[in-house]
Amino acid sequence: MPDDPDFLARSFKYLQDNVRRSGPAAAASYTLIGGIVLFGGVGYALDEWRGTSPAFLLGGLLLGLVVGFYDLAKTVFKK
Amino acid sequence: MLAQEHATEHAAAGKFDAGETIIEHVSNSSIDHPLIHLPKVFGIDLSVTKHVFMLWLVAAIVFVLVTTIVRRYLKSGRQVPTGPMNALEAIVTWVRDDIVQPNVGKKWVGTWTPLILTFFIFILCSNAIGLIPLFEVVALLDRAILHSSPDSFLGRVIHGGTTATANFNVTAALATITFGAIIVAGSKAHGFVKHWMNLVPHGLAWPIYILLIPIEIMGLFVRPFALTMRLAANMTGGHIAILAILSFVFLFAEMFGSALAGVGVGLVVSVPLAVGISTLEIIVVLVQAYVFTLLTAVFIGMAINVHH
Repeated sequence: MPDDPDFLARSFKYLQDNVRRSGPAAAASYTLIGGIVLFGGVGYALDEWRGTSPAFLLGGLLLGLVVGFYDLAKTVFKK
Repeated sequence: MLAQEHATEHAAAGKFDAGETIIEHVSNSSIDHPLIHLPKVFGIDLSVTKHVFMLWLVAAIVFVLVTTIVRRYLKSGRQVPTGPMNALEAIVTWVRDDIVQPNVGKKWVGTWTPLILTFFIFILCSNAIGLIPLFEVVALLDRAILHSSPDSFLGRVIHGGTTATANFNVTAALATITFGAIIVAGSKAHGFVKHWMNLVPHGLAWPIYILLIPIEIMGLFVRPFALTMRLAANMTGGHIAILAILSFVFLFAEMFGSALAGVGVGLVVSVPLAVGISTLEIIVVLVQAYVFTLLTAVFIGMAINVHH
């Protein structure tokens, strides 16, 4: 470890800084996964209920992808 | 159905069923055997189950701890906080300066810090309490000294403590608060109507809006859903891993027909690995509480600072 006494404090500060800046990216990625899981799940449930497998599941997955990628694009093209 | 048949088959043969045992430990207690029986209100059974009891316990601990610390500090009349108040102040300033302010902005930091701080401390405590084998210690005492009946309140409680935040209903309730907070934040900053208009970019051709508005509305629900799944799945996952590794002891004892084999596997593999994962869990407990609050702050900030 370097002799610098503030080494640990500075490391934590930089870590905190990077985590903070990655917040919006994390939000977008969770929305992407969440959208696919949520709408895929709703589609699967509808298929089970109506016996239309796999129409609603595929539709739900596609819808989830669209919503997730739209949110991702909004985060990326913000500036 | 298949799992149930599988379980009864195992139980009939008197064998150890790892899956059944693990699920029993991480899931909520059945509504047929609650800890405290309460009447039905509007068709909803209000009986207190294991997870509800853990929620109350966490709420009580946080309330008593924080009020005691703050009252003692105020009574002492000192300007500089010492001891536990120092730690509490460090957490409060860290949440305010490093989570809320960078996302929400200087103007609204005072409005949203209390909510996000409450989220952080509550989630952190309920995550952490799931790691502490409180009720298992009580169960040991009970077996040695108290000998309470299995039908008594104590007898039902000592089936094991759980993590309340590993229940999807709990995290869904927390995410619903976030969902409400996002709308309130947007409405307070821009006015109710303007907040909803801010959801979609301005100045586009009208056919685009037919596509964008439904997508944005669906996105509104996806965000809290992602929060719900993330926290509950992460908290359940670690516990299942620890229990699965510990169940090697019984599986191996059964496979070789001797307790010695089980103890050997336990000493060499299960216990060291479980200790390792428990250490990781301590980090997970902190990180998950942090991520939930950070994402809440980001979402609230997105409603306040609109750029299109």
